[in-house]
Amino acid sequence: MKPKLVIIPIACVLLFGSSVSIGSARGDDFNAVVSAIEQFYHVKHQNIPLLARAGMKAAKTAARIRGGEYKRLAEAGSARVAFFEEQNFDSHGQIASFKASMKNALSETWSPLVQTLAPKNEEQNYIFVRELGKNFSVLVITIERHEATVVEATVAPQILAQLMKDPNEIGKALTEDATIDP
Amino acid sequence: MKTLFRNSLPAITVSVLLLAATSVTVRAQSARLQIDQLDSLANKASETVDVKLDEHLMQMTAKFFVSKDPDDAEIRELIKGVKGIYVKSFTFEKEGEYSPAEIDSVMSQLRGGAWSKIIGVTSKKDGDNVEVYLNTAGDQINGLAVLSIEPKEFTVVNIVGPINLEKLVQLEGQFGVPYLNLPPPKPKIEKKNP
Repeated sequence: MKPKLVIIPIACVLLFGSSVSIGSARGDDFNAVVSAIEQFYHVKHQNIPLLARAGMKAAKTAARIRGGEYKRLAEAGSARVAFFEEQNFDSHGQIASFKASMKNALSETWSPLVQTLAPKNEEQNYIFVRELGKNFSVLVITIERHEATVVEATVAPQILAQLMKDPNEIGKALTEDATIDP
Repeated sequence: MKTLFRNSLPAITVSVLLLAATSVTVRAQSARLQIDQLDSLANKASETVDVKLDEHLMQMTAKFFVSKDPDDAEIRELIKGVKGIYVKSFTFEKEGEYSPAEIDSVMSQLRGGAWSKIIGVTSKKDGDNVEVYLNTAGDQINGLAVLSIEPKEFTVVNIVGPINLEKLVQLEGQFGVPYLNLPPPKPKIEKKNP
């Protein structure tokens, strides 16, 4: 009996501890990226999702990827979005430094999937993926000259597999998915 | 002595299997090119695309193309055994913004060893140059590399796993593989019986 009495509390502590650390790590990475953008570009994010903006045009991309009628890509309630609107994203030729600071902000559990940079237009897209139990967590960072979006969403493996057919579209599809009304 | 041998047999078998598995992994790994040194080109490029689909993601993806949809079946067949797709593409505003040393940092890995050039297309008019290399061990293909060298664009595609030219052409536009304008694979000529 004694060993069981000892093991059960330890297991509970470990279980609780790990769930807390996973939860906090998730939050930290999303917030860390948002903070990295704010610090580098001297901008401020808005938490109010601008849901009204997207409309039908946005839904089309996601629908095309899913191969039919529009359905949510992200698991219900999993998407977190931070917007930066009507602000100035000028890297002064230091996009590489920003890329490095963002990489430092993220924990090593994230794998970079796609990165596209167009320094002249101050356009950057980053997609990172990591496992989250049976699902995957996808982090999409999109920066343009006057706006930026950070989206973190939990995606079922089947959806990620379909999205991976066109990795360059993942960011667009998930950002639109997270910012449109169902 | 016999007892000792009998007792050791499972351990020996496991060791041999592990050794064999390790050598397969090492062979597959050798088809993976080191291309991260090209990242410095991003400072000069007007556009950079960097795609990394590693073995874990590829295996996970393949697992979920299971529906009876013919498209899914085709993709499943295409990416079967593929252990990674790595793409780096740089577009420049002006000519001469990347150096031969940068090309050579990739090219030097393709000289000799298990790599052999299967296609080399050079356009004197446009200065475009596309080369395709296969990494083989006996009859087995371990990987493929494509270098597309243009005056204002430099692209490297590295696919690790059993991939041939036909599959590469089918993969164009999917899984981050860009359109490479490769010549179509030659049709197989069946030998006629006399």
